[in-house]
Amino acid sequence: MTALRRLGSNLPLLVGGLIVVAILFIAIFHPWLSPYGPEQMDMRNRLALPSAAHWLGTDNFGRDLWTRLAHGAAISLSIALGSVAVAAAIGTLIGLVCGYHGGWLDLILMRIVDLFLGFPALILAMALVAVLGPGAVNVAIALVAVFWTEFARVVRAAVMAERQRDYVRSALALGASDARVILVHILPNTLGPIVVLATLAIGTAIVAESGLSFLGFGVQPPAPTWGWTLAYGMRFLRSDPWLCTVAGLAIMITVLGFNLLGDGLRDLLDPRGMTRRGEGATPAAGPDSSSGRAS
Amino acid sequence: MLSYLVRRLLLLIPFSLGVAFVVFALLHVIPGDPAIVLLGEEATAEALAQVRTNLGLDQPLPVRFGLYLLDLVRLDLGRSIFRNEAVSTVIAERFAATAEVALLATLLSVVVGVTLGVVAAVRRGSIVDVGCMLFAQLGVSMPVFWLGILLMYLFAVRLAVLPSIGRGEPLVDALLAAAMGNPGVLRTSLAHLAMPVVALGLNGAAILSRLVRSSMLETLSADYVRTARAKGLPIRRVVMGHALRNALLPVISVVGLQFGALLGGAVLTEGIFGWPGLGQLAVGAISQRDIPLVQGLVLVFALMFALVNLAVDVLYVVVDPRVRLR
Amino acid sequence: MRRIALTVAAGAFLAVAATTAASAQLAQGIVRVGTDVDAQTLDPRLMRDTTAYRVVNLLFSGLIQLDETLTPKPDLATSWENPDPRTWVFTIRTDAKFHDGSPVTAEDIVYTYETTLDPKLNARFRSLYTPIDKIEAVGANQIRMTLKEPYAPLLSYLDLGIVPKKLAEGGADLSNAPVGSGPFRLARWQKGSRISLAANPDHFGGRPGVNGIDFVVVPDNTARAQAFEAGDLELIQSPLSPRDIKRLEGNSRFAKSISTGIAVTYVNFNTANPLLADPRMRRALAMMVDQATIVGQIYEGTDKPATSLLLSASVWSYSADVKQPAFDPKAAVALLNEMGWRDTNRDGVLDKDGRKLSIVLSTHAEDPNRIQTVEYMQNVMKQNGIDATIRVTDWPAFSGGVQQGQHEVALLGWTLLVDPDRLMYAQLHSKGGLNWGKYANAEVDRLLDAGRAAQTLPARAAAYRDAARILGQEVPYYVLSEQGYQVFHVPALQGFRADPRGMLRSLAAAK
Repeated sequence: MTALRRLGSNLPLLVGGLIVVAILFIAIFHPWLSPYGPEQMDMRNRLALPSAAHWLGTDNFGRDLWTRLAHGAAISLSIALGSVAVAAAIGTLIGLVCGYHGGWLDLILMRIVDLFLGFPALILAMALVAVLGPGAVNVAIALVAVFWTEFARVVRAAVMAERQRDYVRSALALGASDARVILVHILPNTLGPIVVLATLAIGTAIVAESGLSFLGFGVQPPAPTWGWTLAYGMRFLRSDPWLCTVAGLAIMITVLGFNLLGDGLRDLLDPRGMTRRGEGATPAAGPDSSSGRAS
Repeated sequence: MLSYLVRRLLLLIPFSLGVAFVVFALLHVIPGDPAIVLLGEEATAEALAQVRTNLGLDQPLPVRFGLYLLDLVRLDLGRSIFRNEAVSTVIAERFAATAEVALLATLLSVVVGVTLGVVAAVRRGSIVDVGCMLFAQLGVSMPVFWLGILLMYLFAVRLAVLPSIGRGEPLVDALLAAAMGNPGVLRTSLAHLAMPVVALGLNGAAILSRLVRSSMLETLSADYVRTARAKGLPIRRVVMGHALRNALLPVISVVGLQFGALLGGAVLTEGIFGWPGLGQLAVGAISQRDIPLVQGLVLVFALMFALVNLAVDVLYVVVDPRVRLR
Repeated sequence: MRRIALTVAAGAFLAVAATTAASAQLAQGIVRVGTDVDAQTLDPRLMRDTTAYRVVNLLFSGLIQLDETLTPKPDLATSWENPDPRTWVFTIRTDAKFHDGSPVTAEDIVYTYETTLDPKLNARFRSLYTPIDKIEAVGANQIRMTLKEPYAPLLSYLDLGIVPKKLAEGGADLSNAPVGSGPFRLARWQKGSRISLAANPDHFGGRPGVNGIDFVVVPDNTARAQAFEAGDLELIQSPLSPRDIKRLEGNSRFAKSISTGIAVTYVNFNTANPLLADPRMRRALAMMVDQATIVGQIYEGTDKPATSLLLSASVWSYSADVKQPAFDPKAAVALLNEMGWRDTNRDGVLDKDGRKLSIVLSTHAEDPNRIQTVEYMQNVMKQNGIDATIRVTDWPAFSGGVQQGQHEVALLGWTLLVDPDRLMYAQLHSKGGLNWGKYANAEVDRLLDAGRAAQTLPARAAAYRDAARILGQEVPYYVLSEQGYQVFHVPALQGFRADPRGMLRSLAAAK
């Protein structure tokens, strides 16, 4: 009951959750949401404005824009969710090890983290896609390389704080093994920051994926990614600004949904504000996410 | 303090070596090489082999890395393959362009972000607060390059009041010209700067306003602030004198990180506005496989980032004497 | 409402201000030319990009200049003769001076060609000159070139800018501070944004009619067109966006020249690939390229559909009778069926011996029109039972792959085709240095050799037409389009004549 009331009073969580659920619904059920195929071209009906037949208009090949964006949601979200999940797993592992073990291992691993942070994120991702070759999986791998450092830093800080607490000390004094202390005591207490960071990172990943496509280092056409739609839209900005606007709106609403969800979760899970303060490494609170990481 | 600074600066040396090694390794495995780009359509197998020899690309990897490190020790970043100029010169030429956008955008984000954050915190729950937070949410969610595109559409295409692309005279020169009584140059420079600065600055402002608001709310509810208000100090004094100062601490670190990242060049925003900055230079260098230039750029980026971080840590001490550096 | 009115008023004011500024610029005799990229080096031996190509042409003199019909005209050389197919003798003028005041001598000319041919210089266009065996000064005012083999196209490439030997050997930075003997000298170069040239009053052809030319870098095609319309530029030229071309064409305030350039967009089939070794397969794929829609819709009619490997801009060699396969997907499928490719398992994809008919179409990421073209080609092929996929990478990766013969079907372009030899010999002769698709045909080899050896244009034209006829049947190449060349300028630029290469030499004509 209290949980429900808290949910009701947590407007960001509610709105963000609704947006995310709606987008996920579109991403999962996209094949049934439109009579057109995402690659169905109609060169005589290029760049059409919204109509009854195409209620978001058509793109530069006369393909139905709604269909493209709905299919694109599936691709963009898969890349974002996949890369953030892997980055969170790697980052958490390294953060746990660093924060718990400390000493030389911490020193070395954190210098590697610094090394990755020293690269402008988009340039790092671009170079990696150039090395690995284009395609959805490789884009996701490049994004993992960009994101894992944030998780490592936040988790490490959380673990270090947690380690100093009395209950951990007493558990250790009572002879609990390291693994047990980490799994039973520390990890559950760092889950809050990880979940929050992950939701916020998903928003950043969506923007970064479109940014990479924009630079020509993304998923291959004719895959209907939002980045491609936006990049083509940019070519027709002056004559047909509609294409660009709609693609950008799709990205913005989705990112907004995940950001609101992240904020709401933070109020729910992390009242101490670990992810907010941390070392300034939260994606939504650091430049890495927006101006730096994907501008 | 001094020994701390020295230690941090010395740490930059192994850090730079690490960065240099990673970039070198990355550039080695990337497909395509500068010889292909250099010869373009005329790339016969024989010519390619010759150019590779001339560029030293046919040497064993450890030798190449060794030679590069030797140059690095002498603070020589090498020559750009495509520009026939020292890498340091090429970077220096573009640095000013990136720095002026980064500075102005950071300035804008601090002014707007802190103002909105403070107002929202003081008027918590009011319509002003809701408005500020709506701006913050939208600003954070909007991809910066899309905002750039929208600004361009509105101000350059529809209204045609701002130049859509390119840079005027360097800001420093323009300011000098204005001082000499020629304000037209400055106006042109500022007109070119407006959209990139607003696109990048608004996003920063959105991030900062949220941070300042929550930080302010925390300090406003702290005991000493309550005491100050109980003692009858006017609200303006309380906010400005006590709360803001303490709320600024987390803001400094975020502003520092933002500024550091902006100095790395806002790749997409520069691309959209044709801004001749470091981000554009880096993308061009990668897509030409201009190895010395890419290496030099990444090294400079990493060092700038590290130095800004250091500056932030030092600023912390200045703002809050309770913080000690070890 | 008031705010909108204010903004509009401000906009109008700026527009007026811009227009007055424009006329003020032109009144001072400065022509501002929009360009898409900054030059990377202005050393004529090392230049690579179109901006450098166009700027260098104004800064430097060559032995010859090509006029706007691509016919060689005297420059430093006042006359030349070709006593036998392997010897060229040029008589050079003695009154030419470099921008630093020193005279242009036969030594400088020999030096320029020798260093260009030196493999250590990394000159991009070196391969154009490699048939030259020896170049030497004969007396003070003659140059003799001896060739390894007959090489008729050579004359078209002799507009190479001559550099001062003394400065170059003294280590002067000709890339960034070029010193030539052309009608203009470099006044200022703001990297990334502007190259300013000033008239050279001591030019042997007389002082140019304009005082200066500024090349203004505006990377975005549409932004460049808008700057031109706003009066911030006096001249813009290809590459331009199709929609802007349409709009500018309708505006009577501007003078224009719309023509076909000397560049092509083409499809390269890797004949070394087992699947593509059969000419019938290449012909079937070529018949699935919807040329009319691609050129008409994606390029919006600004390029011209090509008919064969012969370019219409090369008037002497072109023939409309030589043809390559036309768009006909039904016939293409029939041809594939005849080869044994049938959809036996009814999955919509043709197969043979249990193998699907899969093709990879590749191009590079820098050109959005090429990406769209490949995307459309893929769509048509897929509808006709071919499992086509796309691979778009950046230029070095793409080009590196093509050069190593890793591609299957690649879409790319070829520029500066001043002679048919340049499009055909290096790429389709079995000994050609750029024959990435490993195409080999003895008869084509013989005809291309004949084209190089023949002394008269009609004889050369006959050889290239016969070669193109065979190549149209065998389709190692499918030429999609001849790239259009458009230039728009203010009418006040009197005496300007458009050049298909985008050269601005006509602005150098004395008043």
